[in-house]
Amino acid sequence: MLQRTVPIAILSLSGIIMILAYFSPWTESWGNTVIDWFNIIAGVAFILGAGNLLRVNLEKISSQRPGWAYAAITIVSFMAVLVVGLFKIGAVPSDRFPDVHFAGDIDSADSTLGWIYFYVIGPLGATMFSLLAFYVASAAFRAFRAKNLESILLLGTAFIILLSATAAGVWLTKPIPADSPIAFLKFERLRAFITEVVQSSGMRAIGIGTAIGIAALSIRLILGIDRSYLSKGGGDA
Amino acid sequence: MSNADANAPRPPQQGSRRGSYRLLFISIAALFTSVAVMQMASAAQDPALDPAVAAEKWSNLWTTVGIWVAALLTLGIFSFLYKDNPVYKVCESIFVGASAAYYMVNAFWTSLVPKLIAPIAPAFTKANLLPELTLPASDQAYYSDLALAVVPLILGIMLLFRLLPKGGWISVWPLAFVIGTTAGIRLLAAIETDVLAQVSSAGSSVIVYNETTDAAGVVTRTIDWAGVGKGVLSVICVLTVLTYFFFSVEHKGAVGKTARVGIWFLMITFGASFGLTVMGRITLLSQRFEFLLKDWLGFG
Amino acid sequence: MSQDSNDGLFARLGRIDRRWIFLAMALAIIAPILMRLRFEEEPQRMAQATFDTIEALPAGSKVLMSLDYDPSSEGELQPMANALIHHCASRGHKIVFMTLWPFGTPLLDKTVKRILLEYHPQLKYGTDYVTLGYKPGLEGVVKLMSSDIPKQFTTDKQGTPIGEVPLLAGVKDLSGFQLVVSVSAGYPGAKEWVQFGNGPTPDAFAVIGGTTAVQAAQLLPYFPKQMEGMLLGIKGAAEYELLVQKAYMPERFPERLEDGRIRMGSQVFAHMLMIALIVLGNIVMAAGRARGGAK
Repeated sequence: MLQRTVPIAILSLSGIIMILAYFSPWTESWGNTVIDWFNIIAGVAFILGAGNLLRVNLEKISSQRPGWAYAAITIVSFMAVLVVGLFKIGAVPSDRFPDVHFAGDIDSADSTLGWIYFYVIGPLGATMFSLLAFYVASAAFRAFRAKNLESILLLGTAFIILLSATAAGVWLTKPIPADSPIAFLKFERLRAFITEVVQSSGMRAIGIGTAIGIAALSIRLILGIDRSYLSKGGGDA
Repeated sequence: MSNADANAPRPPQQGSRRGSYRLLFISIAALFTSVAVMQMASAAQDPALDPAVAAEKWSNLWTTVGIWVAALLTLGIFSFLYKDNPVYKVCESIFVGASAAYYMVNAFWTSLVPKLIAPIAPAFTKANLLPELTLPASDQAYYSDLALAVVPLILGIMLLFRLLPKGGWISVWPLAFVIGTTAGIRLLAAIETDVLAQVSSAGSSVIVYNETTDAAGVVTRTIDWAGVGKGVLSVICVLTVLTYFFFSVEHKGAVGKTARVGIWFLMITFGASFGLTVMGRITLLSQRFEFLLKDWLGFG
Repeated sequence: MSQDSNDGLFARLGRIDRRWIFLAMALAIIAPILMRLRFEEEPQRMAQATFDTIEALPAGSKVLMSLDYDPSSEGELQPMANALIHHCASRGHKIVFMTLWPFGTPLLDKTVKRILLEYHPQLKYGTDYVTLGYKPGLEGVVKLMSSDIPKQFTTDKQGTPIGEVPLLAGVKDLSGFQLVVSVSAGYPGAKEWVQFGNGPTPDAFAVIGGTTAVQAAQLLPYFPKQMEGMLLGIKGAAEYELLVQKAYMPERFPERLEDGRIRMGSQVFAHMLMIALIVLGNIVMAAGRARGGAK
């Protein structure tokens, strides 16, 4: 009962409270309380994640598995940022409460944590994401093949969007007068048509289908029909 | 390869190549370091300065150090494009550790302190952590806040049981709470804004008017046939794509043909999405190169 | 070696090391930066709608600006955030800043200092602009703000109780704002502001969404009924920048409002390269098929 019935009851109750909170002003405060609890548990989840990170990397170091030095670097960087942030080392003192150390601002661009954010975490994250541009180019060369009508439609549309996004595409169709019958062939108009009519409608349909799926899954969860989350419990995190 | 081959000593060329790579790396690092030191020295020279100016110079020094650190980390990540290598792995490890800690610090100060620690120990929190905190007006208010904080406190502790080898099933209770809350919020939002509002938008875009006002102020409405055409096409697109995704009915005959048209619209949609994705990724990459060329090396 | 000499050019091209493609992409982006290439943009419907929405608001309107992105998306979104802030401030609107992303707060702080205070140094904190900072809770924050802002944000970022902030006097929920702007890189972001903020009271305030090109497809269905203005990726940012600069050219640091157009320069070369790679790849495939058929 503790491992199945109680979690199902908790899930159903919290879901029903959120639904009731939407429809009735008398139950609106219940929903606000539930969301507050949700935020607190989400905060604890970060501690869980950090704890898991430490556990996995410390295991790697203690067992001297290949690459254990990188685990050590992960832990050192983790602890360094954690200490700076939790103890607010180098925080900008608060204007209203300058004598209270922990009232200082660690999010300011002038703080030590702000320095770490702008010169370590930020560049690393941005550069990781920017690598995708290279892989998109490589994939375009190796994988994008116009083999049938569907792939020709996809590639043709991609060409129009890529060209029209730049001045080159606009320049190519500049000779077409704006009020001529074939003005719709101007790249910027084709782009507008594709994005505002076809792409918008296609995404609208996908959105409607996804929303119906989300609604169906949510109802199944709240009614206790879908219990897949119960198998996620257990000793291994 | 036999064990004898695996244990055989490496040929001398491989050993000397590794040595020369190491020497090259050390030389480049030394060159960068010396240029950085010279830049820092010029930023912090002349100690007999006005304190405010000295503070600004010190700040400039840290900015210079920061730009160098950011540039070297950026190049370290880019080195992965040539080949997976230890420099990239070091940068990756730093990123994982630093960003995990940043999330945790943020969660601690924005969630746990104001919503968990404050209701439990308000006087301590106000004196040491959150001086802007409003203390409970009465004991009743304190116990009321405490009661509301006890439930998430217990659920939060139960969540941490996930780290233990045994008893991890206890963490399913707070997980169920999180899933239930999310399901309740998303159910209504999905139906309201992604179904009802979208169907309404699709239907209302079919009839489009042009409004013109003449000199006398009389407003004339005429049907915008181009707009109507676009609206009709939009509705056809939505219906055909939805037909394609309706897998409960076999795609044969009229349904099959309709689904096929839906696939064509989907291909145009995905082609447009690909074009936009390329634009987005290239922008990120150009921003990194701008940083390296302008902020670090001073070109452009 | 013998296989290489017997294979044609296209076969060798098909086996090219991908690092040459990476190098070509790098050069395609670096060259315009070094050459300082800039191209004129022609504002399209969405950028114009965004501009017109802010222009149509009475001067002094309250605007809630949520900068929901982190450094990973700064390249695409910072230019539009800069232009939106400068436009609103130039129109005399009062801006309340916040973010739904934990990694967004330092960027928010830097943006306010670098754009709002540099371009409009006469603005006073508390009466002309306020920073609420970050609040955890994802879409729950938006949901709570749609009914009770003071409960969600008991103080501003500086620790001042909300009731004592002049700009927020009398603002109980989102309907106290005339415009909500979300510059977002994903979840939570503009979609959640429409779903949870605008959904319950659709006509209470206008919504403008700025998003990355990757996320653009998800927001397109909301324009123009649920979102009066929308800026899609760096192109939308560049078009909007142009409109704002033409109307409200800043006296100092005008280059901070040109990042979008500068980055569009790299787009031209990189997009040409992408098209060339796709065409080349298909030619290689066709040549391979022809060679296979001939054998």
